[in-house]
Amino acid sequence: MGLPIYGQAARPPGDDRGQRPLWRSLEELAAGRDEGRSPEFAPGADSPPDALSRRSFLQLLGATLAFAGLEACAPPREKIYPFVRQPAGLVPGQAVHYATAASLSGYGVGLLVRSNEGRPTKVEGNPDHPASLGGVGPFQQALLLDLYDPSRARGFQKRGRQLSYRGTLLELSQLAKGHEADGGARLRFLLEPSSSPLQAELRRRILERFPKARFTAWDPLSDDAARDGGRIAFGAPLEARPQLARADVILALDDDFLGFGPEQLRLMREYAARRVQGQELNRLYVAEPGLSVTGMNADHHLRMRSAEVVGFARAVAARLASKHGLASLAPLAEGARATPAASAVADDLARARGRSAVLCGPRQPAAVHALAHALNGALGNAGSTVRYLKPVLNDLSTGPAGLAALAAEVKAGKVDTLVVTAANPVYSAPADLDLEALLEHVPNALYLTLHDDETAEACSWVLAASHPYEQWGDTRGPDGTVSLVQPLIAPLFESMGEVDLLSAFLDQADLGARRQLQELWRQRRGGAGFDHDFERWLAAGLVPGTASPAEAPAPRTAAVAQALRDLPPAGAGGLEVGFVPDYKACDGRFAANAWLQELPHPVSKMTWDNAAYLSPATAEKLQLVNGDLVEIQLAGRAVTAPVWIQPGHADDALTLPLGYGRRAGGPVAKGAGFDAGRLRRSDAPWFAAGAALRKLGKRHPFAVTQTHDSMEGRPLALDFGAAEWQRGKGELEEHRGDPASIMPAMHAYEQEQYRWGMAVDLSRCTGCSACVVACQSENNIPVVGKDQVERRREMHWLRIDRYYQGAAADPQVALQPVACQHCETAPCEYVCPVNATVHSDEGLNEMVYNRCVGTRYCSNNCPYKVRRFNFLDYRGEMAPTEKMLMNPEVTVRTRGVMEKCTYCVQRIERARIEARVAGHPIREQDLKSACQQACPAEAIVFGNLNDPQARVTRLHHDERRYDLLHELGTKPRTAYLARLRNPNPDLA
Amino acid sequence: MSVEIRTVGRAPDPLEPGPLILGTPDDRQLNDELLGHVYRPGRAWILLFLLAAGGTSLLLLGVTVTLVVGIGAWGNNVPVAWAFGIINFVWWIGIGHAGTLISAILLLFQQKWRTSINRFAEAMTLFAVMQAGLFPLIHVGRPWFAYWLFPYPATLGVWPNFKSPLIWDVFAVSTYFTVSLLFWYLGLIPDLAALRDTSKGLLRRRVYGVFALGWRGSARAWRHYRIAYLLLAGLATPLVLSVHTIVSFDFAVAQLPGWHTTIFPPYFVAGAVFSGFAMVLTLVIPARKLLGLERVITMRHLETMTKVLLVTGLMVAYGYMMEHFIAWYSGNPYEQFVFLNRATGPYAPVYWLMIFCNVVLPQIFWFKQARTTVAVIWVASVLINVGMWCERFIIIVTSLHRDFLPSSWAIYKPTWVDWSILLGTMGFFSFLFLLFVRYLPAVAITEVKELRHELAAHGPSAGHDAVGVPLAEEESNA
Amino acid sequence: MSHAASTARSFVLAEFAGPDALFAAARQVRAAGHTALDAHMPYPVHGADEALGLKRSRVPLIALVGGLAGVVTAYLMAWWMNAVDYRINVAGRPFNALPAFVPIMFELGVLFASLAIFVGAILLFGLPRLHHPVFEVEEFRSASVDKFWLSVETSGETGRLREELQRAGASHVAVVEGEP
Repeated sequence: MGLPIYGQAARPPGDDRGQRPLWRSLEELAAGRDEGRSPEFAPGADSPPDALSRRSFLQLLGATLAFAGLEACAPPREKIYPFVRQPAGLVPGQAVHYATAASLSGYGVGLLVRSNEGRPTKVEGNPDHPASLGGVGPFQQALLLDLYDPSRARGFQKRGRQLSYRGTLLELSQLAKGHEADGGARLRFLLEPSSSPLQAELRRRILERFPKARFTAWDPLSDDAARDGGRIAFGAPLEARPQLARADVILALDDDFLGFGPEQLRLMREYAARRVQGQELNRLYVAEPGLSVTGMNADHHLRMRSAEVVGFARAVAARLASKHGLASLAPLAEGARATPAASAVADDLARARGRSAVLCGPRQPAAVHALAHALNGALGNAGSTVRYLKPVLNDLSTGPAGLAALAAEVKAGKVDTLVVTAANPVYSAPADLDLEALLEHVPNALYLTLHDDETAEACSWVLAASHPYEQWGDTRGPDGTVSLVQPLIAPLFESMGEVDLLSAFLDQADLGARRQLQELWRQRRGGAGFDHDFERWLAAGLVPGTASPAEAPAPRTAAVAQALRDLPPAGAGGLEVGFVPDYKACDGRFAANAWLQELPHPVSKMTWDNAAYLSPATAEKLQLVNGDLVEIQLAGRAVTAPVWIQPGHADDALTLPLGYGRRAGGPVAKGAGFDAGRLRRSDAPWFAAGAALRKLGKRHPFAVTQTHDSMEGRPLALDFGAAEWQRGKGELEEHRGDPASIMPAMHAYEQEQYRWGMAVDLSRCTGCSACVVACQSENNIPVVGKDQVERRREMHWLRIDRYYQGAAADPQVALQPVACQHCETAPCEYVCPVNATVHSDEGLNEMVYNRCVGTRYCSNNCPYKVRRFNFLDYRGEMAPTEKMLMNPEVTVRTRGVMEKCTYCVQRIERARIEARVAGHPIREQDLKSACQQACPAEAIVFGNLNDPQARVTRLHHDERRYDLLHELGTKPRTAYLARLRNPNPDLA
Repeated sequence: MSVEIRTVGRAPDPLEPGPLILGTPDDRQLNDELLGHVYRPGRAWILLFLLAAGGTSLLLLGVTVTLVVGIGAWGNNVPVAWAFGIINFVWWIGIGHAGTLISAILLLFQQKWRTSINRFAEAMTLFAVMQAGLFPLIHVGRPWFAYWLFPYPATLGVWPNFKSPLIWDVFAVSTYFTVSLLFWYLGLIPDLAALRDTSKGLLRRRVYGVFALGWRGSARAWRHYRIAYLLLAGLATPLVLSVHTIVSFDFAVAQLPGWHTTIFPPYFVAGAVFSGFAMVLTLVIPARKLLGLERVITMRHLETMTKVLLVTGLMVAYGYMMEHFIAWYSGNPYEQFVFLNRATGPYAPVYWLMIFCNVVLPQIFWFKQARTTVAVIWVASVLINVGMWCERFIIIVTSLHRDFLPSSWAIYKPTWVDWSILLGTMGFFSFLFLLFVRYLPAVAITEVKELRHELAAHGPSAGHDAVGVPLAEEESNA
Repeated sequence: MSHAASTARSFVLAEFAGPDALFAAARQVRAAGHTALDAHMPYPVHGADEALGLKRSRVPLIALVGGLAGVVTAYLMAWWMNAVDYRINVAGRPFNALPAFVPIMFELGVLFASLAIFVGAILLFGLPRLHHPVFEVEEFRSASVDKFWLSVETSGETGRLREELQRAGASHVAVVEGEP
């Protein structure tokens, strides 16, 4: 049955692909299989008797084509090139890393993907890539789950009629011919924003054939404002790229640079590196309406409505102009009302001229970006802490403007063929465009998609897209660096890539993406030895020397001042509604991703939901409590949403994360959260004032993984202001060192060759949660579904505790990643009746799954509550594609068994084997735990405590080191480093 | 057969305790009377039996769901990984303590009044321990591997961990059950012989005959019998204390605030006796009516037991007091929080119900009126059982749901499966109990006869029972 | 009473209303030289032992041995299993952790002692023995209810013994034959 799929994947695209009857029969097979599954769970085995949500949940992770996955589990038919060294063929049991890149909003991040027997099983960062530096975010890692998602779109349909790949290409080339007559006047493309040189090339050639055709890029999270800000300030659409390594003072104007965006990983690394003593601590001011990841880390979180940010920035400018003699800023300061905060910030910035940075987020209008440019210019930061680069995207405008224009054309009936590769525009487009209705008027609306989503329902042609990890291509990082994208696996399901689709309009789809890619780069970097270079680039994951040079533009104050004047006046009455990309669902493209759905929101710790965030004071005023359902009205539109009270949120403002409330796109996506996008207008994509709120008197249950936010005055996540640190040092003494004990020391771990330990630097951790996804992916951790999370049965081995300190209105946030501490005198071990959890000579607290009977005594006696229990059969019967996702070196746990962090013991053993083969001991660079590897901030360090040179050893002797719950005498192997804050004395 | 009952309330001299046996029956009378319920079951019995059978099927349902679905069918979570399963286990084990205590300890102290109720109490012990034993099995994540807790030569080549209190439990509970069974059966043998010799119908005679092992009441046998019975009692007494001590280790050995305390062993034992006697009363009061045992289970028995309730109740109260005091005195913030949280946290209602049932309520037994009014005693003893269940709930759930790291604090909610298993064990318990009173003598006839003989023969000096009542006086003021 | 095996002996059974009469008769019969006496009583009565001349019971010794065996077994088991055969680092605790073994040593001690007592006692009773010649006498049923029986085991002629017992106040006398 599966075989033909394999065939199609393996056969060159030139010849004819699979026939319809076969495809049909597979569909039937899939259906048959669906029913086949139910007996397995019929007696309620898949859910507690009074909750059936998990059944549906498992089915979505479950049902798929029989065997399709396994049969298709093959390396791509073209040769691909592993990172660093090339294997002499595929060694079974030997994982191989391949370099590739994934792009979001068109910006690429270099990745290393681990492949076991031709199955990509883990996504890691590419240390050589400037946008990754070895770190990786939740999105890139979770993409892997989408790859194996059984609910992925499959095959090609034209008005409900199934087409073969070949058939599709024929149809497309006929369609294209039809447009040649009028030069493509009625041919339009709505593309996912991209920086791919190959795409640019194809577009150029398409325009040669169809001069009147037009391309539009749509990104609901567009950063147009940044480029427009550049236009205003410099006359050129330049983008500011901060260099935080040199920045002592950082002012983020509504910029969540630690939580989101193309440069998140690099900026987090640079920021975190300046939070440890030794270097001078940087100081972070964040002015924003909500509480973002960046806000959580701020030394001063200045909460204000989005519209007030410009006022604040002006006040800063005013102070700089008046008090610090930066005359050039004077015109920008008109009508600024000075505030103590603004003045203090300004003074601080002035003190750090050339070593400060003013960052502005994409949510703010162009004028504010321009203002930021002006400030940086005046402060002499330009060129030192802020570089200006030419944009890398193929389209300078990816926002609502372009989409609105296209919509107008469609409305006017000027479009016969619309080729859509943008991610689900029907869902993500501003509500006022009403794309759904418009698409009805387009005779040929072609949609290339990964999921059968809202847009697929509205389009007449639905073409299954190959997953990013299934196709060839290229992309550019924010700094311009080009990465070649190589597939990790042949397409699991019949599908095509964007390159194939565009080439079809040139009748060149048969060439195949790889050849086109190679040809393009041959032209660009031609010459002798190109083929060898090309292979090197593929192996290394990037093309050297492609980074854009920095520009040195001069800000035009007058223009900036004018732009500021032209800003619409802030604050019509009522609530201000602000839209933010969600940390889990992003703009909705990850709503179908169970890993991200269950990932606790970095701030609110919410899973499987979004909510209308508002401040305690506002909630008080409106008499709302968490979970109250409200109707939010804005400019004639209304959505129903549950509220969540977010300490630190600005008053009289609502923050609505996008990406939820999906009406289609698979069972995971559907029914989770509400669609904030319904309130979004193309003229106010990010925030709008004048919203009204009506309490509905109904309530909504949230599944939150942390329901208590106070540390109750206990010494858990310790932090010190830089000022009182010298005094505070002594305080840590009572939280470290050997506790008094009458028990004889039984095991001389110091004598062992290895003594594994971990150190977590709370100063570096930003709470971005990349480590949580990394752990889930590395250790085959199941997703349990909203109902189970509500019952507090989430399975994450690694969690990030988040505590609020101080006033609820504007609290300080303490973050603390907690996994198994691998105590040397582990309380969990001596209570286990069957010796199912015991200690290794190297100090690992080992969990023997097949010996565990599940008394759960160990969990009770674990003071850190890091143990996780399989209350139900969470894995159930896995679909073939799901099995392909599993890490073969980690046991898949069964019902009734306890599990927990193992310090990635499988990686230790792998390193041990390789070290033995190579004939040297395990060196620091040979071994990284999954969480350590993913962490963009390098907050987690794992290694051998018996190696005096190892970083982990040095950190264990750091003066900031302390043990969690030290007084219990558990002797944890994981040490924490107290966090240092750097508040501005003037604002104390 | 109807007996004129004089309540002690109307006894001529209030200081003179009531009689242990009413009237002046001879051995034959006693025999027929005490075995009456075995010969002719009442209609009430059949009704109750059906009820109990219903409860038992509820248990089967709950257990089946648990085995099929997994522990997820219960309300347990992380941090509250133990809940109803262990609560019920400790509760039933506690109830199982009065039996052996009454038979063994009171025998050693030669408390004559025990004779009429010990058989009854011992049976209760056995059935309660059966209920308790059920929970360790079904509460583990993989019940089909529960036998791994026993030290048997496994192909895995691994052995259990004898440092774990759960292993101690395995030995304690199984030992306790075995010894109680032997003790009970040894006491039963002469009565079985009596049944063999007096019941009609060949089948019954045969069956009882087999279980009587051919007992002939031979003096040579009696000589060994007495000493053996006494020795078993001597062993059972420390055993009773040890079992609940070890059960309390499940908590005391853990380092959880609210569990990690040295007062647990005595305080658990006191609680066990407390709940055990409460359960005996709960059962004996209806039973003496239904089975016509008023002659041998007199108001004096009931009153004495209420006094035991009062004393053990005070011990339990002292335990609570000390727990709170030590928590405060230790200066350990985690401990202090737990006890504050018990009284004021989300489970405060359960806490205060516990305080009322276990501390306040027993104080009524300072008053003779309460001690001698059957209805009051019965209601109180039922409430005390409720209170003791709440105590276990408080100890287990409130300690777990908010421990060291506030980040993992959570609320526990039982599911219908939890409840049906709890009710189900009550049904199963009654089921076994009704079978017992239907087919076996609920009162140790032999011992009652012996007691009657001593009272009759030796007059005032009857045994060392300080409150022994010579039958002569009995008749005089009858 | 049909069968008469070679080892067949005859039992003279006499029913008395109360223990005192029984004991008196017993003394007489012993004085007359009969040694194989036994009494059958619904409940134990003081004085039976002297009357029949019975020695002290050995049950306590059995109990002691059983108990000690239990304690030793428990310790050896725990020590061998946790410190020898499966010696594994559990929470950095000592392998041979005597304090942790005490509970089990106690429990096994009690268990073994109790089993020894029970089994020992049953054997000393001479039970289980479902059939015994004395059961041949229908009236003997009262022995477990309210009457006291004296049984004299003899190989010789029983006539004189019957008269003797009747004179001693037996309300009923019977003779059965069978193996002791």
